[in-house]
Amino acid sequence: MRRALDRAAKRSMRLVSALPGILVGAILIGLFLKSRAVLSLQPLTRLLFSSAWKPLKGQFGLLAFLSGTLWVTLAAMILAVPVALLTAVYLSEFAPRFVRSLSKPFIDLLAGIPSVIFGVWGVLLVVPLVARLAPLFGAYSSGYSVLAGAIVLAIMILPTIILVSLEVFAAVSRDLRDASLALGATRWETVKHVVLRKGAQGLVAAVVLGFSRAFGETMAVLMVVGNVARVPKSPFDPAYPLPALIANNYGEMMSIPQTESALMFSALVLLLIVLIFNFGARLILTRIERRIQ
Amino acid sequence: MKKFAALTAIALAWMSVAAASLATASGAVQGKISISGAWALYPMALKWAEEFHKIQPGVAIDVQAGGAGKGIADALAGMVDIGMVSRDIQPAEVQKGALALAVTKDGVVPTVSAANPNLAALLKKGMTKAQFADLWILEKALTWGEILGTSDKSPVHVFTRSDACGAAETWAAFLGKRQEDLAGIGVYGDPGLADAARRDPLALGYNNINFAYDAKTLRPVAGLAVVPIDLDGDRVIGSAENFYATRDDITAAIADKRYPSPPARDLYFVTKGRPSSPAVAEFLRWVLTEGQKYIPETGYIKLSPDTLKAGLDKLAGR
Repeated sequence: MRRALDRAAKRSMRLVSALPGILVGAILIGLFLKSRAVLSLQPLTRLLFSSAWKPLKGQFGLLAFLSGTLWVTLAAMILAVPVALLTAVYLSEFAPRFVRSLSKPFIDLLAGIPSVIFGVWGVLLVVPLVARLAPLFGAYSSGYSVLAGAIVLAIMILPTIILVSLEVFAAVSRDLRDASLALGATRWETVKHVVLRKGAQGLVAAVVLGFSRAFGETMAVLMVVGNVARVPKSPFDPAYPLPALIANNYGEMMSIPQTESALMFSALVLLLIVLIFNFGARLILTRIERRIQ
Repeated sequence: MKKFAALTAIALAWMSVAAASLATASGAVQGKISISGAWALYPMALKWAEEFHKIQPGVAIDVQAGGAGKGIADALAGMVDIGMVSRDIQPAEVQKGALALAVTKDGVVPTVSAANPNLAALLKKGMTKAQFADLWILEKALTWGEILGTSDKSPVHVFTRSDACGAAETWAAFLGKRQEDLAGIGVYGDPGLADAARRDPLALGYNNINFAYDAKTLRPVAGLAVVPIDLDGDRVIGSAENFYATRDDITAAIADKRYPSPPARDLYFVTKGRPSSPAVAEFLRWVLTEGQKYIPETGYIKLSPDTLKAGLDKLAGR
């Protein structure tokens, strides 16, 4: 009797833990089925590489959105990664313990702030800042630009990268550090030659996780990025990332038949990219954890 | 096991009795109504919800904004009972089962910042439809000097709505196009666009009347100015074209057709087919009859009796 209960518990828990995987699979299949309409109408190359987005004329080129997403995400990474990594190094290797325990809650707080609040803050502070910055570089910008989106995004992904990097550094064995210091290396030399070298793979995973968070962030970015469906040519140009396209045009889906399919297709592309990056990052992190044990 | 079955049976029985008592006699209705959609209709829908709740306290009404596109999508998907739509309904939407009732009328006005250095000249000369088309459709890089015939070299910063909405669709219809043809920096939501126009002295945007004018003072919102449309093209805003000072002036101009439609337009409540819930049906019937008296004080325009009768007929399935 007890054996039967044990087996039943095991089976039901196995089912429940398979649920996330099943859900992701269901979403993928659903999106793919809905995208078939637009995929059968237009060749894949035209969908991905044409920059003409005019749903009412039957044009569904996603190039402007893909490049917009790429620009904003890469710019955000360039701004966020050095700051996050150096913060993590300082907190893990140099900071006195009370500073570390004081900063942790603030970083968690930053991670928990809702996306819309970042968007509103961005509209009020970052957009005028970029508008005033642009003439110094000889360009004009309304403020709603790739740069504004990148700044807001960078602040949003900072906590993710910092927290994962801190985990990675904590996983580097104390013995290695002690050995290096015992041999006469300074703290910074230890960090550079031992800790960073050992944690390199994990740091890559942290950066990749930040990348996939940045890639999919919708609300904050769409409020500051300008939403103009054109391939951006400079950081001061407005852009139109893929998540913003889906969020803004949700309403058109009902009126124009192929638009629903085109938006589902862009959602599919977004999901696949995020999944691939997340999966890769997870693989790297598990390998590190296994190596420690 | 037996106890559990007994409890479930009792719960189900109790719930079915409660559900049956929802549709009581004597004209009192109960239930919940969820409404979502156009920013344009949001203030009016709130007012109607408030007044209807006073006479039918058993009905709870929940109103959300999000753009006309969201309204029609939610209504057709069955996620809300009523969608607020501030543009004409497309044939494809009617095919999906959309039943649209015209409930009131308002308009879209072009707006600039009150800090625009050319404001005085702008208010005297106005702007023509052709100039709007040059900026929003043809994306010409005009300066304020070229618009107003002065020597000002500052460029016009054109803004539009990024979300699928009725205001953009209506403004585009005024220029003979669709929302996707409008150029300019896309900002989310009516308040967002008003804010963008307010903060950039060289901005040019458009807003629904109820977001361009302050509800208390009835004048344009602090920091915003309304651009007069030069309808006859003589580059002078005479007394016949000057009705933008207060909200009452512009609504009167829309009512007697001095202000063109579009950008003035009917506003619709959309349901998926005829409403099945008695609360929703009664609310819609009330909006088309007694509810109309709250329209002028909220800053909208009443519909003609013929339009209202046609709506009531549609609601009753005639």
